[in-house]
Amino acid sequence: MRIQRATLLMTIIFIASVVYIILYFKLFIPTPEQERNIILILKEHNIRSDFWQTVSAGAEAAAKEAGAEITITGPLQETDVDAQIKLLEEVLEQKPQAIVLAPINDDRVTAEMKKIHDAKIPLVIIDTPVSLKSAPALVSNDHITAGMQAGKVTLEQTKNNPKVVIISDFITSGVSLEREKGVKKALFPYPNSIYGTYYNADSEERAYMIAKTIMRDHSDLNTIIALNESAALGAAKAIKDANKTGLVKLIGFDTSVYEIRLLEEGTLNATVVQQPFNIGYLGVQTVLELMEGKKVKPVTYTNSIVVTKENMYSQENQKLLFPFIDK
Amino acid sequence: MPRLKKRFSLIPFPPFKSIQLSIFFTFSCLILVTVMVISLNSYRSSVDAVETNSQSYVQEIIRQVNSNIQSYIDNMENISVLAMTNKDVKYYISNNSFISKSDRMPYEKRISDLFQAILYSRKDISAIMVFGYNGFNVSDRRITLLNPYTKLEDQSWYKEAKSKGGQSVISPPHVQNIIQNEYRWVVSLSRELKSTDGIRGEGIFLVDLNLSIINDICSKINMGKKGYVFIVDNNGNIVYHPQQQLIYSNLRSEPIAKVTAAQSGTSFNVNDDKGKRIYSVQDTNFGWKIVGVAYSEDLIANEGTIRNSILLFAIIGILFSLILSLILSYRISRPLRILQRDMKKVERGNFDVRTNIEPINEIGQLGRSFNLMTAQIKNLMEEIIDNQESKRKSELMLLQSQINPHFLYNTLDSIIWMGEQKKHEEVVLMTSALAKLFRASITKDKELVPIRVEVEHITNYLLIQKMRYDEQLEYEIDISPDILHYKTLKILLQPFVENAIYHGVRNKPEPGKITIRGREQDQVIIFEVEDDGMGMTPEQLEGIWTTHDKQHRTKSTSGIGIGNVNERVKLFFGSMYGIQIQSEPEEGTIVTITIPKIKE
Repeated sequence: MRIQRATLLMTIIFIASVVYIILYFKLFIPTPEQERNIILILKEHNIRSDFWQTVSAGAEAAAKEAGAEITITGPLQETDVDAQIKLLEEVLEQKPQAIVLAPINDDRVTAEMKKIHDAKIPLVIIDTPVSLKSAPALVSNDHITAGMQAGKVTLEQTKNNPKVVIISDFITSGVSLEREKGVKKALFPYPNSIYGTYYNADSEERAYMIAKTIMRDHSDLNTIIALNESAALGAAKAIKDANKTGLVKLIGFDTSVYEIRLLEEGTLNATVVQQPFNIGYLGVQTVLELMEGKKVKPVTYTNSIVVTKENMYSQENQKLLFPFIDK
Repeated sequence: MPRLKKRFSLIPFPPFKSIQLSIFFTFSCLILVTVMVISLNSYRSSVDAVETNSQSYVQEIIRQVNSNIQSYIDNMENISVLAMTNKDVKYYISNNSFISKSDRMPYEKRISDLFQAILYSRKDISAIMVFGYNGFNVSDRRITLLNPYTKLEDQSWYKEAKSKGGQSVISPPHVQNIIQNEYRWVVSLSRELKSTDGIRGEGIFLVDLNLSIINDICSKINMGKKGYVFIVDNNGNIVYHPQQQLIYSNLRSEPIAKVTAAQSGTSFNVNDDKGKRIYSVQDTNFGWKIVGVAYSEDLIANEGTIRNSILLFAIIGILFSLILSLILSYRISRPLRILQRDMKKVERGNFDVRTNIEPINEIGQLGRSFNLMTAQIKNLMEEIIDNQESKRKSELMLLQSQINPHFLYNTLDSIIWMGEQKKHEEVVLMTSALAKLFRASITKDKELVPIRVEVEHITNYLLIQKMRYDEQLEYEIDISPDILHYKTLKILLQPFVENAIYHGVRNKPEPGKITIRGREQDQVIIFEVEDDGMGMTPEQLEGIWTTHDKQHRTKSTSGIGIGNVNERVKLFFGSMYGIQIQSEPEEGTIVTITIPKIKE
């Protein structure tokens, strides 16, 4: 009887330890939490591009905050459509968990996006809206509002007597079109305030010529709204050459070292800047939400900030004008 | 007793019908509660320990960050002291109008060389400059081109230093735009330079620290995947944050109020939708608060593992203990169940039950007592049965030995009648037969007598009856001589012969015959008393037994019933022996008596 009891006890202990070992190996070989991997494809991945570097910084911040891994790639040049398509094809082959894309405006890129969509990979578009059926979620600067902000600054600077010429880059550029729309919306209550929209084809020279011509043609012109950097630089040169600094206000968009200098010297009266950090941050945050299966807003807009000479060195605006990038 | 009951009912103890269930339930409750309490406790304490560890870890890191930043600031401070005490600088910025511009040139060169030398040795410093109130300024560069669009007096570091009167001022990180075409992120230290007498201010000294130094310190720390460092100033403004732009656009916020309220070297926990995190605060001596933020899930990566393993241990422990308690309760209650089962048997009348309980504990003792008790009961029962039997036996013997008074009277009457007839021989014969009969019935010594004696007795009896009934009665005694030496009950046959005469032969108009046979058959001896008298219907036959019962019950002395004889035989020899009666109306009756062979 005593032997039986001991055997019984041994059996129980044995079974218990077997169960324990099985469970231990099943449960506690730490199955690492599914590493989330996001691929960010920029329009331009180039350390000289402050804008895109700041987008990257924002994206990295969001990824770090969520504990996700992020891989950032992109063509060296914003105009290199082929490089971006090639990157997209490579990325698609790797079957990534999620993609955040700043697409170059081209039909072939749109076709690639359709493939990503068909592969059921969560996709978020940043910066540039695309025309695609069942368009993926978009995180972008609100360009119409930015245009309206430019219009409002114009009104402030001209004491509500705007006589404006708009210099845009291409008639097909979606961003410029929206900015123009915003400007016109803001200036709508002032009839005959806009003399026209000219296109400089992203050439500083042409912008200079346009500005020179229109200043000559319209003596009461008091504002040039340059929808992109090259337009602003060309127009600034023309204003300086015509000694009309301060007389003809120049309102620009975005920022660069050159624009900052123009802002400091007063040729550029205001620039409407985007918040690229926020675009990158919200882009990644949106794609993370998609990965978790949450519903996301189809469009998330980031705000623009109007920077003038007076407020350009404020705490907030310094960060926007001089992105601090750890190089 | 009612009070006791009430007290027990206060304990929420379900009324289980079996001890095993009660024990199992109690054990299980105890085990569950104990295991749960212990598990919860150990979980809490291990998590607490890990949390405390990680807090001090974060604090240690922040202390290091603090001392790193502090050392850079101290270095700037030292440079400023160097500039302040430098005679060349003093001379260069003095507003002595007698010193011409060309006189100051060598000083400017010397100062610039000094600043340059410092700058070369320190990668962290981006610029050192002196701005004299006299309009002269000197920097670490050979030619200093100031930004024409920047007003010196508007710069906050310039204004602050001037207002602080000689104390050094640390600016928040900003873009230094004082030099043409240079826009660097720096942290500036500025202070007013005093004249030799130490009363008048003569200029502002500026030294810029590359922000990337602080950024490096803050971003290279390891506080888990998501941990980061930010800096606030005395007024709670964030001077440095890795996600400053998100804070500006209200996409992110920090608990500034808590941070400013926190003492240096302390930490606090925040738990909101961003997750559980530790904020560790360190004050610098120049007015900044360095705050480290670490996410618990990063540092306490194994919090889930701790919980799971403790949970698993608890479950296994509970399962194991439940099985054990099941077995234990079974083992404890098993002897009781055995005892219960055996008791049931005893209840049903089986006193031969012996319960066998293994353990030598209370229940084992109970089992032994039970065994003793049943044995005793059995003995007592047997004793009672024996007593009853012997009592009955003696009672029956008494009955048997009684001579029917009617018979005595009739016989005596017959003797008198024969005496009157002068039939002396018959009188002698009858009287001697009666005497023998009498003697046989009064001898008390033995129950059992040899069959020879019994035959003698019945012969005497029949002799008397024959003399009384004369022609009316005939009889034949046919006993096998082989059985004469076996023993039989005393006065066994007489009642049947008596019955045969009184109920069978006497009522018959023609003479009747009684035959007594005795023989051995296998292991038994069979007596037959046959008469050719009236016989009985089955109902009458039935009545014999029942009237006997009644007679017996009422203790009537009117004769010995057949039932009595039967009972007597069974009492003496066992239930397989006894009496059988066959009877046909108008045919006669045969009484068969079966007894065992008992040798002399």
